Amino acid sequence: MTLRQKSMTYAVVVPFAILLAFPFYFALVTMFKTNLDLANVEHSPYLYNDLEGGFHWDFWNYATTEHVRFLFEDTNYPKWLLNTLLVGAAVVGITLLLAMPAGYALARLAGGWGQTAGVGIFLIYLVPPTLLFLPLSRLITQLDLKDSLWSLILIYPSFTVPFATWLLMGFFKTIPQELEDAALVDGASRLKALYLIILPISLPGILTVVIFAFSLCVNEFIYAFTFISSSEQRTVSAGIPNDLIRGDVFFWQSLMAATLIPAIPLALLYNAFLDRFIKGFTGGAFR
Amino acid sequence: MADASDELVQESSALTRSDLLKKGTAAAFAVGMFGALPEKSFGFAGPMKFAKKQLAGDLRIMQWAHFVPAYDQWLDNTYIKRWGEANDVEVKVDHINNALLYSTAASQVAAQSGHDLFWFISPPSTFQKQVVPLNDIVQEVTKKLGPMTKVARKSTYNPKTKQFYGFPDDYAPDPVQYRRSYLQEAGVSLNTWEDLRKGAPKLKAIGHPVGLGMSNEIDSNMLLASLLYCYGGFIQNEENRIVIGQGSNRKGAIQALQVMRDIYRNGMSDEVFAWTAASNNQAFLAGRLSVALNAISIARSAENSGNTALADDTWLASIPRGPVMRLGNEHVMGVFVMWKFAKNKEAAKKYLVDQQLAYREHFIRSGYYNFPAWTGAIKGGFKEIRRMTAQDPHKPKGKYTILTTIAEKYTTNPGHPGNTTPVIDEIFQTWLLPQMFAEVAQGKMTPAEGVSAFARKANAIYRKWKNQGLV
Amino acid sequence: MEAQAAGAKPVHGRWRHMLESRRVLAPLLIAPAVVFMALVVGVPFAWAVYLSFTNAIGGSLTGDWVGFENFTTAWHDDNFRRALRNTLIFTFASQAIVLVCAAVLSNFLVRNFRGKWFIRFFVVLPWAAPVVLSTIAWLWLLDSLYSVVNWSLARLHLDNGLVWLLSAVNLEEDAQVPLQWLGRPNLALIAVTLVHAWRILPFAVVIFIAGRASIPNEVEDAAKIDGATGVKKLWYVDIPLQLPIALVAVLFGIVFTAVDFAVVYLLTRGGPFNSTQVLPTWAYAIGIDGGSLGEGAAISLFLFPLLVVVSVAMLFFARRAQVS
Repeated sequence: MTLRQKSMTYAVVVPFAILLAFPFYFALVTMFKTNLDLANVEHSPYLYNDLEGGFHWDFWNYATTEHVRFLFEDTNYPKWLLNTLLVGAAVVGITLLLAMPAGYALARLAGGWGQTAGVGIFLIYLVPPTLLFLPLSRLITQLDLKDSLWSLILIYPSFTVPFATWLLMGFFKTIPQELEDAALVDGASRLKALYLIILPISLPGILTVVIFAFSLCVNEFIYAFTFISSSEQRTVSAGIPNDLIRGDVFFWQSLMAATLIPAIPLALLYNAFLDRFIKGFTGGAFR
Repeated sequence: MADASDELVQESSALTRSDLLKKGTAAAFAVGMFGALPEKSFGFAGPMKFAKKQLAGDLRIMQWAHFVPAYDQWLDNTYIKRWGEANDVEVKVDHINNALLYSTAASQVAAQSGHDLFWFISPPSTFQKQVVPLNDIVQEVTKKLGPMTKVARKSTYNPKTKQFYGFPDDYAPDPVQYRRSYLQEAGVSLNTWEDLRKGAPKLKAIGHPVGLGMSNEIDSNMLLASLLYCYGGFIQNEENRIVIGQGSNRKGAIQALQVMRDIYRNGMSDEVFAWTAASNNQAFLAGRLSVALNAISIARSAENSGNTALADDTWLASIPRGPVMRLGNEHVMGVFVMWKFAKNKEAAKKYLVDQQLAYREHFIRSGYYNFPAWTGAIKGGFKEIRRMTAQDPHKPKGKYTILTTIAEKYTTNPGHPGNTTPVIDEIFQTWLLPQMFAEVAQGKMTPAEGVSAFARKANAIYRKWKNQGLV
Repeated sequence: MEAQAAGAKPVHGRWRHMLESRRVLAPLLIAPAVVFMALVVGVPFAWAVYLSFTNAIGGSLTGDWVGFENFTTAWHDDNFRRALRNTLIFTFASQAIVLVCAAVLSNFLVRNFRGKWFIRFFVVLPWAAPVVLSTIAWLWLLDSLYSVVNWSLARLHLDNGLVWLLSAVNLEEDAQVPLQWLGRPNLALIAVTLVHAWRILPFAVVIFIAGRASIPNEVEDAAKIDGATGVKKLWYVDIPLQLPIALVAVLFGIVFTAVDFAVVYLLTRGGPFNSTQVLPTWAYAIGIDGGSLGEGAAISLFLFPLLVVVSVAMLFFARRAQVS
């Protein structure tokens, strides 16, 4: 890259990065603040201050890890993280199992009616979940899954599958038909061609689906709230607002810690995937 | 009988006074009380197993995460275990955030399965058709303790169906909390709304504005409905018909809107439109606000904050008087309902009765937050309650005494002078009151237009629930 | 091409042959997804439609048939209309921002520059945090008293200028310093829109980059040989190739925003004066908290035909784009 291109790049990406990451930077600062420091409007929100609002270079002596400790020891937060991970992993598995064949078929095999079915699958995504939780909670009770993570594992694919099917369909369509035809000419069966040719090439698509299906599971909270009522069985998105906002008190520092902590490993994971995509089309790792 | 109460006395005497002061408020002033606690208040306490036990099985209860966390701890770890052992019932209480009570309840009704007892922060009159009427245990308790308070009765009784759809457990008065030094400095009185209207600019001038919320949150709802009473702008009449659009009610409502608009324009800032339920607490504790209306959680948080100057300067008062009356809503009306599909109805009923009979201890453990629905649950009634609240050790000494006056004279139910009907419930839950006041305050509507728009919406809601046969 | 495939290799039995046929294989592959969706969403959805024609209350899943009454009641309520308007504003404004920013950002992010790892990490963070929690973080960032945004604006001496600007463009005439982002109707609209854009942008960026990754290198090479560079290449090569995936990103962005409940519910609760309610939150306020379940169901369904129209139009467009 020329110097001009380089400075242009920084001029674009740095402001975006600052804007997008600012809440997390601020969460990082806030989570170690003492109550009296946080509550004083005169104090700088960016620094750890003494009681008079003064800043010292040994600022760690004016910060506290108490609120992070509270989160891990006095709430079920570690349990919620684990539950979220379990539900997310299971749902991602189910999603891929259902969506990959469907996406492939819609992209390659189905004719006019396939498009219709595809649109149909997508439309289901448009059902607002605000009220669906009521009939669904009847279903969950009848299956005797109330208060169990299995209820979420059963219901969550309902919003990940349409999404994944469509995304994969889009990816499958970008793969040149010729590649597949060549394999078929070489005598592979369709399923074998799918497995040997299409899947490796569409790895970016599959990874994208993994990322987003997992994110959607982590984000969901209405079902997580209403299907599960005991604190130990909750996911992060349901447990945190329930236990760390108590009527007239927000546990701000702990809330900030709770936000930041799951975001970091997920962002690392997403970033690793992104890295692969980019390496893939600059270095040809995918083909 | 001795077991349980001995254990309690031991537990409290094991802690020194200074320990307790460190540990938090509820326990702190409870300690002084426990010695004096008559053993009779543990009416249910008894030997581990009844000879002729009638109850068995599990009892599952859903209630809020109490604003006084120490109360929940005591309830979960001590009270329900004691009651459970005495009655051979395994009790489990789940606590959820109060904002999620309705959605959880709705999903339990949809599923036709859930907790045996479900506690609500306000009368859940929209769920009336899903519950077992509890007239029998209301009568039973009334026989033992005397009449129920009017606020509890009006909150849980439906005159149309002649049923108590819920069992009132507790209520919290809604006092004004103010910084005495700021009010003195600015020379402002809180006796009438007119005083506050005139004083608000002075308080703003010294940098400590009034904080009366007009936002989509519970504190604003309670406060604004109370302001309407004080000016005679009642939403409904005693027969639960919507009357705010007509006659003297309309006039009163317009006046109330004007007062609030004046207080906002001259004495508050835009912050009151942006608030969550926690914001007035935060702004008060930050030292910004001079006046706020809330349950005693502000004063208690100030005491807990370690900032004694702030705590000692935080005083309580009753709601200002309006031209028509001095009257405010309860801040919390704790109502238990028993779903039709509840599994252990017998145990649930006994639990409710026993809890009310033993309410003295709940009153203390909640830091005087939970007033009993039957004043007679505390022997000696309001006189004794006054004596107890007067003994609160926090400075200024006796600041909580006024709570008794507020509870006795100036506390009513949403929907006064009528009942808390589903119409009132839906008006509150869809934030129509803060909407009317905020639209007028921000100049989007005149007070007259605001009342008309509100009355139109309220009437539409009324028709809906009349068709259901509930009003 | 099927014929070719079949002809190239002798048929090993009937079953195998069937698997090679589009008519058999396609339904076979699609069926599991469709059956699952029909059971888990189809039935409850039908139930929700039924509820919207009844007077069901308080969580009850049955009620008396009332025809279109719930729909007309909702329609005549100005709060409902405002919620409908807001849903459209939030959706289209935030997605317009997302689309433009994602297109620009993804093109720069794929370049090779020092610190690219950190920059990309920061960019994906908003999507990595659970939306409930990041919205609560925004609630704190925009707090009425402690807002760090306002604190920073004041220290940079930008706050009075911003207030002046807001009134100059007629957005908020009597806004005061410090700005109450969640307390004045238009400021709250802006805040909610930006929070939506903030959280969807990384999603769109990742999809754009992934979409680029799946364009075969041969195409790039061919473009190079043809001498297509810069804008020309972007217009004739990159955009047409990325269009199907970009459309999917936009479509999902629209749907994520339009049916989103968390942001408005946690950030403004519909306030000030119900001026930021959207259909999902208003349906919840009426149907769940307010107890009028039938009416709530009707409100939540208003969105459905609208989204169907948007989606079908975009899908149609996507197919056309692909064919050409």
